[in-house]
Amino acid sequence: MKTVALISGGKDSCYNMLECVRHGHQIVALANLYPDGSQDELDSYMFQTVGHQAIHLYADAMNLPLYRHPLKGSSIATDRYYSPTAKDEVEDLYELLKEVQNDIEIEAVSVGAILSNYQRVRVENVCSRLGLVSLAYLWQRDQQDLLMEMIDDGIDARIIKVAALGLEPQKHLGKSLQEIAPVMRRFNQKYGLNICGEGGEYETFTLDCPLFTQKIIIDRQEILIHSDDAFAPVGYLRFQEMHLQAKDVRLF
Amino acid sequence: MDKRQNIRNMSVIAHVDHGKSTLTDSLVSKAGIIAGAKAGETRFTDTRKDEQERCITIKSTAISMYYELAEKDLEYVTQEKLGKGFLINLIDSPGHVDFSSEVTAALRVTDGALVVVDCVSGVCVQTETVLRQAISERIKPVLFMNKMDRALLELQLDPEDLYQTFRRIVENVNVIIATYNDENGPMGNIQVDPSKGTVGFGSGLHGWAFTLKQFGEIYADKFKIEPSKLMGRLWGDNFCNPKSRKWNKTGGDGFVRGFTQFILDPIYKIFKSVMNFEKEKYEKMLTQLNIKLSVEDREKEGKPLLKAIMRRWLPAGDALLQMITIHLPSPVTAQKYRMEMLYEGPHDDALALAIKNCDPTGHLCMYVSKMVPTSDRGRFYAFGRVFSGTVATGQKVRIMGPNFIPGKKEDLYLKQIQRTILMMGRYIEPIEDVPCGNIVGLVGVDQFLVKTGTITTFEEAHNLKVMKFSVSPVVRVAVEAKNPSDLPKLVEGLKRLAKSDPMVQCTIEESGEHIVAGAGELHLEICLKDLEEDHACIPIKKSDPVVSYRETVSEESDRTCLSKSPNKHNRLFMRAVPFPEGLAEDIDKGDVTPRGEVKARARLLAEKYEYDVSEARKIWCFGPEGNGPNLLIDVTKGVQYLNEIKDSVVAGFQWATKEGVMCEENVRGVRYNIHDVTLHADAIHRGGGQIIPTARRCLYACSLTAQPRILEPVYLVEIQCPENAVGGIYGVLNRRRGHVFEESQTPGTPMFAVKAYLPVNESFGFTADLRSNTGGQAFPQCVFDHWQILPGDPSDEASKPGQVVSTTRKRKGLSAGIPSLDKYFDKL
Repeated sequence: MKTVALISGGKDSCYNMLECVRHGHQIVALANLYPDGSQDELDSYMFQTVGHQAIHLYADAMNLPLYRHPLKGSSIATDRYYSPTAKDEVEDLYELLKEVQNDIEIEAVSVGAILSNYQRVRVENVCSRLGLVSLAYLWQRDQQDLLMEMIDDGIDARIIKVAALGLEPQKHLGKSLQEIAPVMRRFNQKYGLNICGEGGEYETFTLDCPLFTQKIIIDRQEILIHSDDAFAPVGYLRFQEMHLQAKDVRLF
Repeated sequence: MDKRQNIRNMSVIAHVDHGKSTLTDSLVSKAGIIAGAKAGETRFTDTRKDEQERCITIKSTAISMYYELAEKDLEYVTQEKLGKGFLINLIDSPGHVDFSSEVTAALRVTDGALVVVDCVSGVCVQTETVLRQAISERIKPVLFMNKMDRALLELQLDPEDLYQTFRRIVENVNVIIATYNDENGPMGNIQVDPSKGTVGFGSGLHGWAFTLKQFGEIYADKFKIEPSKLMGRLWGDNFCNPKSRKWNKTGGDGFVRGFTQFILDPIYKIFKSVMNFEKEKYEKMLTQLNIKLSVEDREKEGKPLLKAIMRRWLPAGDALLQMITIHLPSPVTAQKYRMEMLYEGPHDDALALAIKNCDPTGHLCMYVSKMVPTSDRGRFYAFGRVFSGTVATGQKVRIMGPNFIPGKKEDLYLKQIQRTILMMGRYIEPIEDVPCGNIVGLVGVDQFLVKTGTITTFEEAHNLKVMKFSVSPVVRVAVEAKNPSDLPKLVEGLKRLAKSDPMVQCTIEESGEHIVAGAGELHLEICLKDLEEDHACIPIKKSDPVVSYRETVSEESDRTCLSKSPNKHNRLFMRAVPFPEGLAEDIDKGDVTPRGEVKARARLLAEKYEYDVSEARKIWCFGPEGNGPNLLIDVTKGVQYLNEIKDSVVAGFQWATKEGVMCEENVRGVRYNIHDVTLHADAIHRGGGQIIPTARRCLYACSLTAQPRILEPVYLVEIQCPENAVGGIYGVLNRRRGHVFEESQTPGTPMFAVKAYLPVNESFGFTADLRSNTGGQAFPQCVFDHWQILPGDPSDEASKPGQVVSTTRKRKGLSAGIPSLDKYFDKL
């Protein structure tokens, strides 16, 4: 099926694209929602918003068109189930996909949700309204296995936001998946953190994956503290300068 | 050993210096372990060098004795019996309050207690404390009035006064018993009564003692009355006219009280004639009383002669052992009513029934109450009581520590028992197997248990209840090795110290300091000496003693506190409210417990503390450690998903009450109300990682907005002294922020008893100070009594609590000053 991939820049959306390709679908376009205005972190219920500065490089790295739409709405309807609500951030997603649909022919949407029912319900709501199929190959996968698979399959992602007990901005930001995996396993046993960060424990940005023809290099970045919580401080990385670098193409 | 009906496990308990160890000597000598002449001076059970030097018992010691009851006395034993031979396992315990944890450990393994009271000083604080503990463990007491020789020789009381002194002590003891034991309860009536023979009189030092039974027998032939009937006449308001041989209840002309006439009179006469060297008089009495002295003893005069006569006439060993075997319960009798107090599991499972019936063929169940150091450095015997089944060398058992939860694997070890041994004071003896009802030592278990634990062969076994100590470790010192390279030895030594004492706590602060916490100055002194000489064997440096504090609040939070989770999708709204007075103590005592039935507990809280019943039913948990004196209560109205975050909020609560906001001391006496929560609809966004820190922050914000205060521990001090020293006591107490609340003369003596409250923080060096200000005449006994608010605002650094906070924070390596509210409080 011709598929548009919803990407946040994170490891899950990227790995799901990889899974789609493995299952014989064709990625024809990329779509992304980014925070409106100068704000970086919106504490959205739905979308990863940090790291949007580097999303445009994805399109070049994969040689695909990228559709972007600003997040105008906010989290308004926060119940478990969703019905279309004006000014909700979900409506921004609807707008975005509609725009893609008007432009090119698509049948499916690739979504990187693993465990968040909240995300799944909302994406499916939008898809059904547009007559699209949602492809979520990671849905309900075991997080521990999944994280290991991602590492084995060559996803090179970095931690760009932490927000959970045990994770510290100064210590853990910028770490690779290989480095964070044992840390998450430990805190999973201690405090019940989700190993893949599905509960918003951490967010990542993918610098390289087998689908990329070029890899992303971050030249300059800074650590920003979002809220100086006494026990679980929240902080994130903002990319300031980055570029693409050619690499040996490996195709499936 | 196999005759469970003929075993008596008993402990000797009393106030310090009332003569337990000395009295125990007379029992030991009776059993032939030490020479009779030495009894009263050897202090056989004080095995340690420092115990002998200081003349104070520090560790409790067990000895086993064999005693045969005479044929005619057997009929007095109303419980089941098998033959006339009895095995008595006796534990001599320390009397000083600082070591009362040893008493607790001793009580757990015994069924009966010999309560010793010095008839000159009467019932003291520690007498009450240990007696209360005994009764709450369902231990049956018998009473012994010690030091009669002092009453006669030093105080020269006349017989009626002495009788009144005795009567008062018996009454006092019975008042304590009545307060803590329900007469209709499972133990029945356990009041002591001289006329029933449950009260002994005598002198441990001189080695003589009697109960009314002895005298009943002496006079039975003369009056042709049954001894048991006569015993009733020999106590209380029963008067006799020696001439007409008539008895009445009111006294009057020519009538003398039975007790004075038949018991005190002969004793007084002997004392008088011997001390006045009236040889003819006492020789006549000796023939009358049919006392035959050895040639050697005949030569003696004065006190030594008196001792010899009394010991021959009324040997202490016989009187006491008779009293013990007749009146104290056997394991078979005692375990019937002790099981429900001991066993945490269902009261009808196989193990519970085996304990109840004291069944040697049932599943093994044993409680390890303490660790006793072996001659082999660093190893310990696990000392305890077999409650059911039989423990044997090589047996495969489940060793369950205090944190074991049935069905889980934590704190559980499956191991073989290397060796079982019997402990006999200074000696040990290996033994093949030991059936239930006995006290035993195990080799090789010490590696798996820290201090106490349950050993069983039953797979679904629950733990036996952990012991509740009457004192808490409120005094701490930091220790370090003089030579830094000795650190590993120090750490190892601390581990051993923690094992060898039931109470001491050894911890490491975040700043890296090693902390030893004990019940009082003396306790710590002994512990540190042991650490230096026996456990670590290295020179150590110790800091000045530091007191533990508690954090509390004095008013309700001035606003509802909001904290957001790190991902900002969850919000908690809470408030802190101080406890009504008395509730924290009720929780300490176990009257209000996390294990109690919810509805009954809610009713109690509503009746006694005017809590809203429906709120009181929604207590989420106690804390810290799940049973501390703080409550987390859900007062929300219909909130979605609330139960799903309960575990995380509880974890945050345990954390926040263990390490309070001001200086990370425990929190005490605070009720936290959860007013509202808003949560992310998706379970994955409200896991522990999000909620635990949020709950903790919110609780901290609640405390900070509720006028936080520091609580300091306060001792109850009891001081015995002559009248002229009272002034000096007041001076010393005033300088140390203490205040006297009771002052009374001990009736019949020139001694004064002063009771006062003294902050623990001011108690260091108090004993020495007091002695120097009263010419060494005043002896204080300090026992932890309650917590009291240290007046002043802790956020003001100049105030007393402010100083406490800043020094504590500094010691723990925390940032200076109480963190500001905005660190914990979020805006909407």
